[in-house]
Amino acid sequence: MIKYILAALALGVAAGYAVNNFSSGFPNVLVTDYLLSAALYILLFVMGLTFAIDKEAVAKLRATGLKLLIVPVLVILGSILGGLVAGLIFQLDLFGSMAVTAGYGWYTLTGPLLTQMLGTTWGALGFAANFLRELLTIVTITLLVRLDKYAPIASGGATTMDTTFPLIVRYCGSETLITAFSSGFVLSMIAPFTVIAIASLV
Amino acid sequence: MVNITILYLMIPLAAGIFFGYRLRQRKHINLNRVTFAVILVLIFSLGFTIGSNNDLLMSIPAVGVSALGMAVSAIIFSVLFVVLVRRKLKI
Repeated sequence: MIKYILAALALGVAAGYAVNNFSSGFPNVLVTDYLLSAALYILLFVMGLTFAIDKEAVAKLRATGLKLLIVPVLVILGSILGGLVAGLIFQLDLFGSMAVTAGYGWYTLTGPLLTQMLGTTWGALGFAANFLRELLTIVTITLLVRLDKYAPIASGGATTMDTTFPLIVRYCGSETLITAFSSGFVLSMIAPFTVIAIASLV
Repeated sequence: MVNITILYLMIPLAAGIFFGYRLRQRKHINLNRVTFAVILVLIFSLGFTIGSNNDLLMSIPAVGVSALGMAVSAIIFSVLFVVLVRRKLKI
């Protein structure tokens, strides 16, 4: 299953690169915006259907109430501590490093925000580190789910509301749907504030 | 801008849940194949977005190692916190 996903990713990168560099006139926005959004909306709709059709999912959900807030709060603490540790290891500015990981995987936000606040290098770091967080979540999902059903949600951060959401529901079970979505939702709401607040301390 | 994005994402999810409840009494519906096909389209589009961004591709070798370190570190501590608290509180 994951090999098809990696193949689709590689094919996408190759196609994007080819179109951007060897052909002129193809409107990239058709894929990077419209196709991406359309696929996302269809998926969210199908995910909602899958969840509501499963009679046991609602019952399973009753037991998850508290996790709705606990998970994103722990992901915030874990991500920022992770940034601090990485900053110490790579001898980078600690606040810069924490600002990068306070994007929780939302690279399209963290990249541009940090480019504006701290310059191109931090912007590239913000983009790359958060993109790799999403990519690593996709690649390691089958391993993480063996450790704990909710581990991929922690790993995915803000991406569990959209790009990694369908994978998480598929591999972790439909009872994790609300936790995955709400954790991604809370982290997406908070990411702009934590990135800006921490970056302003640099 | 953030709020509008979230709204756009909530509408199809809510619509899916609404129609799903109405379809409950029907015979078993298997959506796995549809889901997987759409996932592939989504991941392809994501790849395309990255591949068509020359600035990003150029910056990957330069910042790659620290970026990978940050990503791995953030993942490890997030997973660690969630797993430990889940086991401690049995939730």
